[in-house]
Amino acid sequence: MSAVMRLGYVQLRVTDLEEARNHYSNTLGMEVVHEEPGKLWLKCWDEWDHHSLVIEEGGVGLVKLGYKVDSPEALADFERRSQQFGATVGRFSEGENLKVGDGVRITLPSDHTLELYTDMEYAGTETGAINPEAWPRNIRGVGTHWIDHALISVDEPALVERFMSECLDFRSAERAVVSMEDPELLGSWMTCGESPHDLAFIKGPNNKLHHFAYHLEDWSSILKAGDIFSMDDVPIDIGPTRHGITRGTTIYFFDPAGNRNEVFAGLGYRAMKDFPTITWTSDQLAKGIFYHARELNEGFTTVFT
Amino acid sequence: MRVTILPDGVEVDAADDETLLRALARAGLRYRVGCKRGGCGVCKVQLKLGEVRYERPIAPQVLSDDERVEGICLSCRAVPLTNIVIELQEGDRLRRVLGFAFPTNHHHGKEDR
Repeated sequence: MSAVMRLGYVQLRVTDLEEARNHYSNTLGMEVVHEEPGKLWLKCWDEWDHHSLVIEEGGVGLVKLGYKVDSPEALADFERRSQQFGATVGRFSEGENLKVGDGVRITLPSDHTLELYTDMEYAGTETGAINPEAWPRNIRGVGTHWIDHALISVDEPALVERFMSECLDFRSAERAVVSMEDPELLGSWMTCGESPHDLAFIKGPNNKLHHFAYHLEDWSSILKAGDIFSMDDVPIDIGPTRHGITRGTTIYFFDPAGNRNEVFAGLGYRAMKDFPTITWTSDQLAKGIFYHARELNEGFTTVFT
Repeated sequence: MRVTILPDGVEVDAADDETLLRALARAGLRYRVGCKRGGCGVCKVQLKLGEVRYERPIAPQVLSDDERVEGICLSCRAVPLTNIVIELQEGDRLRRVLGFAFPTNHHHGKEDR
């Protein structure tokens, strides 16, 4: 297991802040926990840190991803190993990100900005930590539980996989290659704990987001989320369906600026330390991605923000 | 507003404040689109004639000033201001996905004239 615990925050650009507020707060059910002109901070009901999503007005696409690390010693170790790898690495101070402590900012070989930190102000889940109810009665819309993972596009998947593995102790739960004879890496689904993926990437333009995903409880919650997307006129990219990769059930959909989101449920397995990495070959990759349709829609490999 | 779609010459009507994408979808027509929300640029078409406005701010990384000058138009956000003529991207074509609902399909193209 890595000392990286999870994807802690996603920072995103949107063209219209009020439309984004409506989408993330009313349709998905996140809570706006702080706001400043042109910027919103939000969290899901089941998350205990101060926020998991930062939205800023102007443009579209990913600003950065934040991953929470379990100790300052591990943070320093990740910093040193990333420098040795040759990545651009810098420190940021407490308060530079609202309610977030000191941290390390890394530019991945794919130009994405990844921030590692150990502290964010504790807020608590909606249901609390003492004799909690199963869920809060005031859930709005989909009622997403937490931000679970992100899929980014990178020009050199093999290089990014090597970086994540050598510098941050991520492991590949599943990998996509050209064929069993041609090992060129097309994508990798990497874990820092036992969840099938905490960061995934596929071949594509550098420094772009494919999607970030919210955890939902089960398949029926996915179906209900789809109903809410129809009620709120949210464009659905694909689903409800299942991924072959990770076995998760899913809907891909778009926020009002065109950033792709996912609701994701039903982890297929625990990716323990001795988990045998799964391989997908390009001839079967469409089935890996959309297990029922077994073909990709045009957007899957063309829509990035 | 009348929207003519090349190369087929199919014509549809766009209501006031209606985007090109919405007008085509309402007529049972489908073409290459992505996020439908102005974020990805997959639904760009060439504006051959007429004028459009954008119903929302468009991110410059999606549609650059140069592209605007060249008459490239982001169809999911573009609202016709006049009768317009657009041309689909090379390799794209119109698909009729609601044929039974639109037996004549608002089709006043070349072959009907």
